Amino acid sequence: MSRCLIRESGILRAVWFTSGVRPLLIENPLSTSPSLFPILECFHIAGFALSIGMTALVDFRLLGFGLQKQTPAEITRALEWWTLAGLIVALFSGLLIFSTDPDMYYLNWSFLIKMACLVLAVAFNYTIHRQAVSGSLSPPAGRLVACVSLALWVSVIFGGIFIAVIRPGLV
Amino acid sequence: MLISFLIWLQNLEPFSELRSSAYVYPVVLALHLSAIALFGAMIVATDLRLLGWALRDDSIGDVIGRLRWPKRIGFLLAATCGFLLFSSKAEEYYYNPFFRAKILLFVLVAVHALVFRRSVYGDPAELDRAPELPARAKQAAALSLFLWLGILCAGRYIGYVEGRAGMHFK
Repeated sequence: MSRCLIRESGILRAVWFTSGVRPLLIENPLSTSPSLFPILECFHIAGFALSIGMTALVDFRLLGFGLQKQTPAEITRALEWWTLAGLIVALFSGLLIFSTDPDMYYLNWSFLIKMACLVLAVAFNYTIHRQAVSGSLSPPAGRLVACVSLALWVSVIFGGIFIAVIRPGLV
Repeated sequence: MLISFLIWLQNLEPFSELRSSAYVYPVVLALHLSAIALFGAMIVATDLRLLGWALRDDSIGDVIGRLRWPKRIGFLLAATCGFLLFSSKAEEYYYNPFFRAKILLFVLVAVHALVFRRSVYGDPAELDRAPELPARAKQAAALSLFLWLGILCAGRYIGYVEGRAGMHFK
């Protein structure tokens, strides 16, 4: 069985070809229901605001603002699960949003930059950022790490907003 | 009266420039969302502390006290960007039901602050001395979470209302 994607009056459909059989049309229910998309977006925004914001609390602490009675490691531990929960909500709602128009996203350079920043931000968060939080870096290095972390997460947001601006895509 | 003020506002040069610019408008929008993402979780963190669901090693007084100013700064940043977005299409926003809902929710946030000022936010150290967290504090936190989540969703839905015809854009 082979698959191809067709676009019909703006709606993307996956068509499965089986030799000798009529093509089976599979429609993404998210593309046909106009009320689901904004709900997904609300989940997406709430999710990333939660996870980026919790990370920012740690970054602000590394920079010397906010919850200064706690060490960065204590704040990270206290908020770890909320950060992860927000990230999971944002990722899954994002995947569903992506599924409504995959070729548009795939061909959109703002989306590609967003994904690159997202991968970098998550990787940074669980490696170098973690080291800074545990106190194994010098305070100036910790401040630099906090700035890089904040910049990466803000780039992800900018990448997301500009997907709609540079539509329809690459070229 | 109000509507003629809004028409005047949206046709001031900086705002009509913003309305017609292809790139500045989305930059302001992205800054608005960045401010929400970087500072919104401070509200959530305070509420979770009041509910006893996070940061339990830190005292309530410390969390509320130390996040008070960062939260105000964050709100100012998000509100400034929001004001720019609003002013560039003030007339259209005025008719937008979700924008109206968002403003109403902000009024409710102000009412919330007034109602719980004395019992919760004014003297949070008092809450730390109590043997058990008073129900008022948990109510305040839960209501705050709902109000801000409502504001976030109303904000997103503003963009889904079709602009009216006959707006006085110059």
